[in-house]
Amino acid sequence: MIVGSICFLLWNDPSNTLTIMVDASTDALSLAIELCAIYAVWLGILEIVEQSGLSEKLAKLLRPIIKKLFNVDDSETQKAIALNMSANILGLGNAATPMGINAMKRLDDGSGKATPAIIMLLVINSTSIQLLPTTIIGLRASAGSASPSDIIIPTLIVTLITFTLGIVLVKICNKIFFKKKSKGEVKK
Amino acid sequence: MSGYILPILFIGLFCYAKYKKVNCYDTFVKGAKKSIPLVVDIFPYIAAIMIAVALLRSSGITSLLCELLSPIFNFLGIPTGLIELVLLRPFTGSGSYALLDSVFTTYGVDSYISRCACVILGCSETIFYVTTVYLSQTKIKKLYYAIPIALVCSIVGSILACLICKII
Repeated sequence: MIVGSICFLLWNDPSNTLTIMVDASTDALSLAIELCAIYAVWLGILEIVEQSGLSEKLAKLLRPIIKKLFNVDDSETQKAIALNMSANILGLGNAATPMGINAMKRLDDGSGKATPAIIMLLVINSTSIQLLPTTIIGLRASAGSASPSDIIIPTLIVTLITFTLGIVLVKICNKIFFKKKSKGEVKK
Repeated sequence: MSGYILPILFIGLFCYAKYKKVNCYDTFVKGAKKSIPLVVDIFPYIAAIMIAVALLRSSGITSLLCELLSPIFNFLGIPTGLIELVLLRPFTGSGSYALLDSVFTTYGVDSYISRCACVILGCSETIFYVTTVYLSQTKIKKLYYAIPIALVCSIVGSILACLICKII
């Protein structure tokens, strides 16, 4: 992708290539600094949640769903997934990220290949289920919309549909793909 | 209204932690300390994906793609003004918010197209960004069908968004 774009630039605007790359990298750095601040707040809060035993309770509450979706038994992993999902539902994408990274680390079996649970977690995070799209409502309000929150209901309907679609697709693919694979391994 | 949720949650959390005899300050500091190594670890991935996106956008490939794909997207019910947004959404969060802003100024905040754009952004995620960041701490290279499924969901979401905004 990068090579293709550079080739295209060579043809259009060769002298700007490096400037564009450095500019993007600068943006990435300022984003990283911003994220560092955000993560500091959330990881701090999270540690309190963890220490006070709230995450245990949350995980217990979501355990039936998590077991159905991810098929994991390890309670630490369940906790990380529960926190990641609840942060997503509350619309705290930036808070969900450190917990998601944590959950991924725990799910990784070191083989370099994704497991069904990892694929499920990725797809769930990509469909972005959330109750209140706060950022977008804020943007609409600041752009002078007459009723900034009238997108809540359509957004909810669409996310619920894509969320279910994602889960169903992953479940089907997992069934087909990983069954085939285990059969293949048996034959060998 | 939504502004009150978080502060109330935080107060509740601190009270609960006190009740459970957790030292809030020390615990907070302990957690916050983890943020710098985490960001140091994920920065290269953020930089790589942002450079790729910047090159892609400024090279003019995206506008070419938009033109090429507009018949297909129009057929699916997605207006031409939103194609770039749908295409770039999986890659960049800040980029798609910038595009949303330009949609607002071109078509008006409360227009059909702007509402569609909002719903599309609300129901989708920056798939490639999420994937690179989430997996940055693992050794996973093979993802099988995770990305295709996520992209299918995102496209279906965009089509549904345009449909539902017509009704509501």
